[in-house]
Amino acid sequence: MNFLNPIAFLFALTMPAVVLLYLLKKRRKSRLVSSTVLWQRYLADTQANSPFQKFRNHALMWLQLALLALAVGALARPFWRGSAAPSRLRVLVLDGSASMQSVDVRPSRFESARAQAREWINGLRDTEQAMILLAGAVTQVKQSPTRDKAALRRALDSCAASDSGTRLAEALQTAAAFTYEKKGEETRVSGEIHLFSDGASVDLGELANKNLPLIYHRVGGEGRNLGIVSMDVRADPEDPTRRLVLANVFNASASRELAQVELLFSNQVVEAKSVEILPTNSAAALFSLKQPGDGVLTVRLLAPDDLAVDNSASTYSFLPRPVSILLLTRGNRFLEKGLRAAPRSQVTVAAEWTGPTDAFDLTVLDRTTPATWPATSVLAIGVQPTNWFAAVVVEKSPPIVDWNHAHPVLRQVNLDNVDLAESQLVDPPPWGVSLAQSQQKALIVAGERERKRVIWVGFDPLQSNWPLRISFPIFLANAVEWLNPATQQTADLLLRVGEPIRHTSRQPVTEAVVTRPDGTSATVIAQRDGHEIFYGGTDRAGVYTVRAGTNVATFCVNLLNAPETQIASRTNLVIGRYAGVSSVSTSSAPSDQWRWWAVAALALLMFEWWFYHKRTA
Amino acid sequence: MPEPLLEPKLLRKLEQFQLRTGRRARSSARGERRSKAHGQSVEFADYRNYVAGDDLRYLDWNLYGRLDRFFLKLYEEERELSVTLFLDASESMTFGEPSKFSFAQKIAGAIGYVSLCGFDRVTLTALPDTAVTPALRSGLRSVRGRKSSLGFLQALSQLAAGGTMTFNAALRRAALETRQPGVAVVLSDFLDPAGYETGLHALAGRGFRIHALQVLSPEELAPAHAGDLRLVDSETGAEQEVTFGRYRLKAYQRSTQNYIQRLREFCRARGISFLSVSSGAPMEALLLREFRETGLWG
Repeated sequence: MNFLNPIAFLFALTMPAVVLLYLLKKRRKSRLVSSTVLWQRYLADTQANSPFQKFRNHALMWLQLALLALAVGALARPFWRGSAAPSRLRVLVLDGSASMQSVDVRPSRFESARAQAREWINGLRDTEQAMILLAGAVTQVKQSPTRDKAALRRALDSCAASDSGTRLAEALQTAAAFTYEKKGEETRVSGEIHLFSDGASVDLGELANKNLPLIYHRVGGEGRNLGIVSMDVRADPEDPTRRLVLANVFNASASRELAQVELLFSNQVVEAKSVEILPTNSAAALFSLKQPGDGVLTVRLLAPDDLAVDNSASTYSFLPRPVSILLLTRGNRFLEKGLRAAPRSQVTVAAEWTGPTDAFDLTVLDRTTPATWPATSVLAIGVQPTNWFAAVVVEKSPPIVDWNHAHPVLRQVNLDNVDLAESQLVDPPPWGVSLAQSQQKALIVAGERERKRVIWVGFDPLQSNWPLRISFPIFLANAVEWLNPATQQTADLLLRVGEPIRHTSRQPVTEAVVTRPDGTSATVIAQRDGHEIFYGGTDRAGVYTVRAGTNVATFCVNLLNAPETQIASRTNLVIGRYAGVSSVSTSSAPSDQWRWWAVAALALLMFEWWFYHKRTA
Repeated sequence: MPEPLLEPKLLRKLEQFQLRTGRRARSSARGERRSKAHGQSVEFADYRNYVAGDDLRYLDWNLYGRLDRFFLKLYEEERELSVTLFLDASESMTFGEPSKFSFAQKIAGAIGYVSLCGFDRVTLTALPDTAVTPALRSGLRSVRGRKSSLGFLQALSQLAAGGTMTFNAALRRAALETRQPGVAVVLSDFLDPAGYETGLHALAGRGFRIHALQVLSPEELAPAHAGDLRLVDSETGAEQEVTFGRYRLKAYQRSTQNYIQRLREFCRARGISFLSVSSGAPMEALLLREFRETGLWG
């Protein structure tokens, strides 16, 4: 232990004065009594006539000496090395992602990190500034830079872990803004970032060149976790009246696990299955059910693991309905047959259509451009809408170099042996993604314009061998499924934690009430003339209900985040390709202790007061 | 006119009692108490053979008829009982409200009155007796008979406490001076720094049937003063320093009770009856109930 103000020990010279006071005789009141026999137990020693009495072992004197020693000690401002290194500003970043709710350390990783952070705050010197950021679904500044430790502790207490994936990069960028200081042209590091995290599923690639003054305080261990990482609901191809529910369960632990997976419809268990999953592998659980009506389908994992939030996923599923398709073509049997073969499709074929298209779910334009653009989703084949793309080039025999397997439209579609005679090529526009690529340009584009889904095919299938390939009807079936407004609506109702709820109301409303999974509700003011409702507080997984006038919509918010399911805490954080940061236990800094000394002195003073009055009052 | 020591009403109630001795009277004078000596009374004691010169009135003619021998009937002789009251009149007895001395005076008066009513010979010895004038002494020594009770009570009421006294020495001297030991009643606070053991021991050794009555003031049982005090002993003048407070009251009372208990056990071991009373206690209840329960009289 060291002392910041050792000169205060001069006050210790007053200690002999206390002893001297006890050597002096006490002034007492004289009182005549019948006899002193009964007072034998209370008698003081017979006093000598000198001004000093002989030294006696007096409890009060020792109490007062101890009190004085503590007071002198407090004045000398003792300190010892605490758990913080000296710097001007420290930014405490607390990871509030879902993996921090793991209970492999009790009570949870988040609470453990909070306890570490509290100890770290206690170790700060009075002159040091610190601030607190919470990296949850969004980065929140819980406390701006301050020297007030009580305020920092209060801010820390107000933090809570969310159910969202890790978004540390955003928080660290915010923290970095506080830890750099510009001096002319030079940028200097003027602070430290203390990250309290488990390091699970952290992607800090974009911070590779930032040279962050990052100190990583690791919490948590390996953990044992199983989680649902994806969920899909679609029509059963063998029986259109049934629905197929597919859930992917990932085993993030180091041993083979047997998990029970349940399917619930509107909170009623429909079916349960056992799934065996190898370590660091995933397994699918497939359910087929006859859906009695629109409702919430939930897949629940019954596994005693360390993280609960990824053990359940929900989605709102509508009853399968027929898809009404308007095909505007000058004649294309392949296309017409392909569309008719799509599940639940009702195709209306016309060369021209001047009436309203509201009755149709989607419109297929085959080398025709209608006078009035349809108000539905559109599959445009060989059409050149002028305002969709910046530039369109036409190329003879363009090779299909690559295509996007992951997109729902090209699922199970193989374009390997498809040859084209001629095609329009475009640069991928901002509203869509390229599904099939020829050299630098896109052949097929899918996206969303004015809240309607659009697939644009740059070539005429009749000018290729694609209609003769099996991939053609599969593509058409996928396209119909994807363009179907019911599919889009289902997708809109399925969100990840942290993604905002966007609800469109046909009737204008002034406000809507959002009911959260925990039963609390929030009122949201409608946007865009009362047709749009936005709600951003989706930091908890579960079912959210939006009531806008008479319209009720159910949104399912899930974690569905495979990296977050891998909860193993990391010793090193990788920043980009070359940089990294290792976890530290603590670094040391002086920790002022005078307050504890003063508190002890006060307690002793109160004890002495009590002790004295016990004897004399 | 000075207030009488005891109310006439109380005195009338006391007349029903007789001092219990626990042993036979040894006095040579005739009295009302049974003794070991044989003489003239109505209580048959024994027979003995007739010898020439015996009073023929005491021959048992019935026995002569049956056995044809002369037997003389013997009767118990009734002697007087000597009651000695030792009243502590030292300075320490002047303390308390009411003072311990005036309280002890009343008790002594009551015991003396009961004894005189029972035709016992009563002697009251004040300790110290320096303040006792010869006139008072004659009214307090060897008093007998109910008619003397008024003078006895008057002389007793004129006694005053003061001065110092060594309890043990005073009792030892009194034991030596007594010619006919009988019942001794010691009225004191038993707070002599030198102790009380040898004094009581001397009385017991002399053959007294002893009743020890300790009188303490309420102030001594629960002191009201607190703080850093210098206590001055009223008799010895010795100064003692003490720090006392209400938090220590229980401990003080515990130590006081221990002191009384030691005294009680000392008395019990020597066949001395003991009673500790507070000078603030109601006199009538003490005399009519507690004294009876402790066996002082009945």
